[in-house]
Amino acid sequence: MTTTATATFSYSHTVGFLAYRGRGFIHPVDLTLGDGGVMYVLNRGGAESVGRLELKRVCVCTADEGYIGEWGTGGTEDGQFWWPSAIAQDGDGRLYVSDESLQRVNVFSPDGEFIRQWGETGDGPGQINRPADIAFAPDGTLLVSDGMNHRIQRFTVDGEYLGGWGSYGAQAGQFNTPWRLACDARGNVFVADWRNDRVQAFTPEGRFVGQWGVSGDGKGQLNRPSSLAVDDDGYIYVADWGNERVQIFAPDGEVAAILLGDATTSSWAEDYLAANPDEQRARREADLAPAVNPWRDHHRETSAGVEARFWGPTAVNLDDEGRIYIVDSCRHRVQIYRKSS
Amino acid sequence: MTLTGNPPLGAARIALADNASIRAAHLLRRAGFTPTRAEIDRAVERGYEATVDELLHPEARPDLEIEDLIRRYHVDQNSLMLLESSQGYWMYRIINSQRPLEEKMALFWHGLFATAYGKLNHAKAVVNQTHTFRRHGLGKFADILVELSRDPAMIFWLDNKDNHRDSPNENYGRELLELFSMGIGNYTEADVKAAARAFTGWTIDNTEYMSIRASRDSFWPYGRIDWQFRYREDDHDDTEKTFLGHTGPLSGHDVIDIIVQQPATAHYIAGKLYNFFVSDRPDEEAIGIMADEFIRTDGDIRAVMRRMFLSDFFADEAVRLGRVKSPAELVGGTARLAGSHQSPEWTISNLAMDVNFMGQEILNPPTVEGWHTGMEWIDTGNLVERINAAGAEMRDTARPGVRAIIERVKTRGNRLEPRPLAEACLDAMGMFEVSDGTMNSLVALAAPWGEVRFDRDDTVACAEERVVEMLQLIVASREYQLA
Repeated sequence: MTTTATATFSYSHTVGFLAYRGRGFIHPVDLTLGDGGVMYVLNRGGAESVGRLELKRVCVCTADEGYIGEWGTGGTEDGQFWWPSAIAQDGDGRLYVSDESLQRVNVFSPDGEFIRQWGETGDGPGQINRPADIAFAPDGTLLVSDGMNHRIQRFTVDGEYLGGWGSYGAQAGQFNTPWRLACDARGNVFVADWRNDRVQAFTPEGRFVGQWGVSGDGKGQLNRPSSLAVDDDGYIYVADWGNERVQIFAPDGEVAAILLGDATTSSWAEDYLAANPDEQRARREADLAPAVNPWRDHHRETSAGVEARFWGPTAVNLDDEGRIYIVDSCRHRVQIYRKSS
Repeated sequence: MTLTGNPPLGAARIALADNASIRAAHLLRRAGFTPTRAEIDRAVERGYEATVDELLHPEARPDLEIEDLIRRYHVDQNSLMLLESSQGYWMYRIINSQRPLEEKMALFWHGLFATAYGKLNHAKAVVNQTHTFRRHGLGKFADILVELSRDPAMIFWLDNKDNHRDSPNENYGRELLELFSMGIGNYTEADVKAAARAFTGWTIDNTEYMSIRASRDSFWPYGRIDWQFRYREDDHDDTEKTFLGHTGPLSGHDVIDIIVQQPATAHYIAGKLYNFFVSDRPDEEAIGIMADEFIRTDGDIRAVMRRMFLSDFFADEAVRLGRVKSPAELVGGTARLAGSHQSPEWTISNLAMDVNFMGQEILNPPTVEGWHTGMEWIDTGNLVERINAAGAEMRDTARPGVRAIIERVKTRGNRLEPRPLAEACLDAMGMFEVSDGTMNSLVALAAPWGEVRFDRDDTVACAEERVVEMLQLIVASREYQLA
């Protein structure tokens, strides 16, 4: 548990279990939260080979580990996924899934029925190249983090181009392979400027407001930030992907908390272990936080060796009950924390 | 097509470049993966010996600069949970590393210390082992053996986790001597038992849990967990042992030090390096020179490699284009030449599958003896695979490497007759020696085209397609299948 003067951040529980199909995730990269605690978890799956395509899907479940179902599959036909990158829900419950290989946005009904798709490859206005994230602004327009075009673009829900900003570079307002973005309640836009190791903030119109983060693994430093979220109190939650952690910045810019991952076994995982008692017994007797032999990228190696740690956090989401959802992509789960004021 | 014969190109070898370029191309093919023409030019400009020294010090160049991009776009290559994802990751390294000899050494040691996914069910553990080869592969052989003995994948692969003070398991001790250092006939059964006892206590954490997971291929609940080396002193047999004439409470480190001092080790490792880097056909005199260097430098692999690259036997025309490229060399090298996969593309797994289909499942060798190399890479079926895969890589005129070749061809003239066109294409690919038979085939391909013209807007696209057709026939040639 981490406490600041005004807020406390504590681990709550883990949702998920490694599963190619059905109740579980396989390389989840993003989620979006619907009404009633519903989570739509987007699974990127494995390599794009025959037999692995069906791993790519949306798993629908709840924050308290209820399993509702799944929809979607890999492929290049309408509504299918190749490199699904992000999922977002509009005010009418429709779900939007971006794909950074097929260069498009698929639109689905709340039940996963394919409705339409839009997107055109290229680097001209309104064209996209590896859309890394999509997020709805308060006015209902859709913002797209256009990864390989190093810019942010705004569209209507039907894909009509409304404008955009940014270019390749490291100056204020420029980007290097941006990953996720987030809007606050006023429509200000925050971007995880991934290969520049920083977060940038913009007005709703795209005017540069500020930036923070420098390269490194010290407190407040960033290494390839992947995602971020902003709460109503002004706290900013950054998935510090290359450092395998989440840093929480207070409204004054100070680091309020650093989360490294505290995962426990979900009820789905417990069901598996109960069905495999010899594995369960050996697991109970094992030291699941062994000393790791570091060699190069010690944060990643530690995450690969210590199961509870984040490994490849690719998305941070918040609900209106103070819960923080962190998609733990290489561990096939979502770790949930709780903020208490 | 036949790949046999010694020398492979026979007396009809046609030289298309000066000796310095031919020698540089030979060095870069052996120390790396199919150099581009620009890389050959740079090596010529730098000088042969300076190039050798640069290759031998990979640490002076940056590590893989797209590592972060690979992990981002291929989340499966971040977790390295699946075998095919891990194979794709290695293909990226072969194609994009600025440290070609580091990658080649990793492939060499992977073939010699062959550790397979099939038993481990843990791809990242094998990838981690190849990283160990990258870090130590040009270092002292004693250090390599220490790292190998500490390597969790090896400990699992050859059952050293089951090698206990009170119940030794000889598997690792035996292969350490037989396959990894000295070769059969240079030690006794008693030496095997002593070596095994010396390595008792060299194990991994959570042995039972990890063994259960591996045996049932369980990646539940949350994916693979990296194995960690652990030395358990309380499980180590520290009593007196006699190993190769040395007696004392020998440890694993002591055994390795004794192994490295053996002339048999020097000869065995020299022979393996010679076979991989020089020729499929053993040359005892050359191997002896390399073994002497091994002994003189106390097993310094970098020094042995330097001696080899600078030797007359390495420069000998008879060994040039005398080795069959392994599938990983062929596929990775052709992708390098074509300039494909310089940034993450999902098709990387197709390249890895091509290598598999040709008989080399990297990270999953067939046995602890590794792969049978040389002519055994070639049979009727996989020769077709080799030609098709290489041809497919050269098909796209937009690929930066193919583009560079086309632009270089154009510098030879705006209008090229069949023979000059064939020569220009070979030159632009860094293929400076071909048989007259191959040359005749290339000229025959171009004969119906007559003059290929780059000087008119309405013929450029067609001319570039002609070049690509020529490149595809060149990569199907006997010479291209060899290194």
